[in-house]
Amino acid sequence: MQTIPTVMIADGMVLARDVETPDGRVLCGKGTQLSTAMLERLKQMDITHVVVEGHPLQLEGEKSLQDELRDIEKRFSRVTDTPPLMYLMKKIQERVIASRSS
Amino acid sequence: MQEDKRQKIRQALREVKNLPTLPGIVIKLTKMAEDPETTTEQMGKLISKDHILAAKLLKLVNSSFYGFPQRISSLSSAIILLGFNVIKSLIISASIFEFMEDNDIELWEHSLGCAVVCSVLAKRLGVSDPDEVSTAGLIHDIGKVAIKLELGPEYRKIHEMVVGQEFSMLEAEMQTLEVNHAEVGGWLTKTWNLPSKLVEPIAMHHNPGAAKNEKMAAAIVHFADIMIRGMGYGHGDDIWVPPLDNNAWRLLGLAPQDLDEILAQVEEKLWEVKGFSLDIKSGFEA
Repeated sequence: MQTIPTVMIADGMVLARDVETPDGRVLCGKGTQLSTAMLERLKQMDITHVVVEGHPLQLEGEKSLQDELRDIEKRFSRVTDTPPLMYLMKKIQERVIASRSS
Repeated sequence: MQEDKRQKIRQALREVKNLPTLPGIVIKLTKMAEDPETTTEQMGKLISKDHILAAKLLKLVNSSFYGFPQRISSLSSAIILLGFNVIKSLIISASIFEFMEDNDIELWEHSLGCAVVCSVLAKRLGVSDPDEVSTAGLIHDIGKVAIKLELGPEYRKIHEMVVGQEFSMLEAEMQTLEVNHAEVGGWLTKTWNLPSKLVEPIAMHHNPGAAKNEKMAAAIVHFADIMIRGMGYGHGDDIWVPPLDNNAWRLLGLAPQDLDEILAQVEEKLWEVKGFSLDIKSGFEA
């Protein structure tokens, strides 16, 4: 799952979250196949970002998976002697990994 | 010696000008709440006189930290559903939230995130008043805001110790002030006459074992703080996951499988609160 700017929508991307207007109306349900043809309409509705399946783009300033996993380890580095928290860390890392693949 | 310093700090926090005093409306509402003749409609009407406050309250009660399936559109139903203590805490905290949103977005996100985890945990564990626990989570770090607002020089020293020397916030506070933000939060909420259901989990979120009457609520806020730190959703000056209290962990009685499900639920709810702001100009419709 990745949040991308609307302008970077490419054919074949699949919505992972509903696209909603600011007042909560659903414009486009999750699972919808995106196409560049929809781009204009979304832009007109002031939708700046959408969430798509997988991790199709390497966005500028975005952390790599390795960096993200390392950050998680650093956050937990002072509680390595606590088994439940080590389990929690492993699970958080697994979820991050899973969210990067589709 | 140590008691002396604590007294001084307590005094400093009591005399302060920057901290929000109890809004007049809360005093009026408390009086009304004591009168058995008062209806929730009357209380709702009083709050509605302050349009901005009313809009903010409705926004908060409709957020994912509480998660009612239907939209709550009137203040009187909010009072019935959430209870007077929650509404009172939210009114008192509204000005502090504003400060956090403007000055410390990471702490604001951490607070929202902690409230979300509290809500998931409280419902899962079947506690009798999940909304009060979520509210305690929302304001658990209120002491940090108080220290930042009121004890500028000390705060800068704490900040320097945390950023420069990798102290945890808690250690730096203890060395500098001999009290920590949890204790300060406890003093404040007690001064505001909030019930122990809110005061204890806030005051004891780093040592939940010290809670007398609200052990479960304290354990929930304690672990919610840890979990949201671990997930990296908002943070303080320090980034480390704080230590886990063994007794609190046992009290929660969570199995590995519970953690998996809780993480999934929290992620889903965090998505809903993403970008949640009390700024009522942005997309709020009454």
